[in-house]
Amino acid sequence: MKKMNVSEMSEKAANDLLMVRLGQLVVNERYKNGDFKVPIHLALGHEAIAVAVSQTMEPEDQLVLSHRNIHYNLARSGSVKEEIDEYLLKPEGAGGGWLGSMNLSRKSEGVAYTSSILGNNLPVASGMALANKTREKESVVIVVTGDGAMEEGAFYESLTFMKTFGLRVIVIVEDNGWSLASRIHERRCEIDLNQLAKAFGIRHDTMEGNDIARYIETLRDIREWTMDKNEPVIVHVLLTTLGHWTMKTEDYPEGKFINYHAGPAKTVNIGDGPVIENSEADPVFVLKSRLDETEFDKLVKNQLQNLSGELP
Amino acid sequence: MNYVGFVNQELKKALKDKKGVIVFGQNVGTGSCVSGLSRGIEKETGCRVLNTQNSENTLVGAGFGMMRNGVSSIYIMKQLDFLLLGIDQLVNTYNYIRVFKPSASFTILAVVVDNGYQGMQSSLNNLADFCSIARIPGYAITNRRDAEKIIGAHLVSPGFRIIGLSQRLFGRELIDFEQVISCEADGGWLQYTDGADVTIACFNFSIPQGRGLIEALKDKGKEASLFSINSSSPVEWSPIIANACQTGAIVVIDDIKSVNSPSVDLVARARGEEKIRTITHITRDFSSLDWLRPNADELVLNNKNIIHQALK
Repeated sequence: MKKMNVSEMSEKAANDLLMVRLGQLVVNERYKNGDFKVPIHLALGHEAIAVAVSQTMEPEDQLVLSHRNIHYNLARSGSVKEEIDEYLLKPEGAGGGWLGSMNLSRKSEGVAYTSSILGNNLPVASGMALANKTREKESVVIVVTGDGAMEEGAFYESLTFMKTFGLRVIVIVEDNGWSLASRIHERRCEIDLNQLAKAFGIRHDTMEGNDIARYIETLRDIREWTMDKNEPVIVHVLLTTLGHWTMKTEDYPEGKFINYHAGPAKTVNIGDGPVIENSEADPVFVLKSRLDETEFDKLVKNQLQNLSGELP
Repeated sequence: MNYVGFVNQELKKALKDKKGVIVFGQNVGTGSCVSGLSRGIEKETGCRVLNTQNSENTLVGAGFGMMRNGVSSIYIMKQLDFLLLGIDQLVNTYNYIRVFKPSASFTILAVVVDNGYQGMQSSLNNLADFCSIARIPGYAITNRRDAEKIIGAHLVSPGFRIIGLSQRLFGRELIDFEQVISCEADGGWLQYTDGADVTIACFNFSIPQGRGLIEALKDKGKEASLFSINSSSPVEWSPIIANACQTGAIVVIDDIKSVNSPSVDLVARARGEEKIRTITHITRDFSSLDWLRPNADELVLNNKNIIHQALK
């Protein structure tokens, strides 16, 4: 693959991606250090879609999030310090110390609502989009859900509502294949999201591979489409939540795969660098493979310098 | 004029010149318009009336979403039992939205199906069950005076509340009182008569029973003070307690079928007053499962026994 100069692929996208990854790694170190009382769901491996969404949003657009929201909040604000201060429940935190982690929103950055309850945010996003339509606002509501939350009735109810009223909503389904410790095949039948979208007459797109430049291009096209058509869109994002570990038990003497869900990612260390996994599953690995190595190292060094004050 | 006709009239009066308000729900703009409740609202007020799908969770969430984006709305719900499907939104979303002190209004206007013979799955008649879970303001409407007060003050005002209507009263002649002697500022309670012998406090939708007791007392040459307690949460009881201290007897009538009621709170307050000689707390008989069989579903008072006990 041909290596790119950072200016060829959007320096902001590359920097934001690294900031969201390294910011999370700093939070993880503080978490391992026992600094936080609030539960935090890290989103290592989810950075590309968060940065792409953030860079697609126009000033009036609104983002509606779920319990795993650190990546979007970091991408929107660019402030790791405000994020950490919120987790420490300080008044100078992103939510004034009121919101903690699972409900963190930032009105000024367009993060309008966040819910810790699976599926809860889709109805709220529907209402927000209806309000925007009523007030003739030129904006889109982007709501983030997952392969677990799409099992909730609210998912189907809300798609009906969005389609019926012709609402400009982009539904991002972050599909990591897990809900807590259950894989999809361990908890339910397969749901073909493409076929489901067809049944509703809703446009459906799939994104995978963590190529930040391509993600941004695709999302900008989708945003333009929903603005033009006054229709919702489902975007199915296939990704991997990084930070797993293995645990040896009597039943699994060779070690059982434990998916990362929440809490500190014990096997991930900031000292090992920003790349967690050498595969397409890691957006930072994908970024590194696209960039000249010297350029990549320079970007990482700059980001680490900015974050040094936040480490334990 | 009947009860539903009057409530419809008050709704239209309160919504006059409030063109930005959205009135939504199942059948609000078609067929009987929820037994006449929403008839003519769009035509006579200019509010937007939206017929919706049958998705209570999403509809409650959408109300909060509109509120979040500054659009006021009223969700007219055909049957209070259906609100059970929206409880997540009532608790989790409302708790979130209220922290930001929204300037928009969201009202759920729910019909309590208490007209009998509905079967055991349509047995819920207690607004307080919903209001208690997130300390939601709630009001029951039974007559001309409380309808004027509660709809006028609360239908469209910043914040969220549930207003309950009684299906049993829908087609009946509107209950009216000559005067309102005193009332709680928010319409939490209203006093209609002032008498020296007994204090009567009617909770939920039991004002018809209270009126019947007044008439029975008159036959005995006795006068009573009559209060309707419209709030579904405990309010400032002092004026009612003061009245009961003067009469020396309080009869608390409550027609709910679940356990949670502010009437228990009033009775507890009354028990601490030496001047109140008799406290009669009238509730339903739940000694067998007969209350779940199709029945008339009406609290029937034995006025002779109540008067005997209250005046002994």
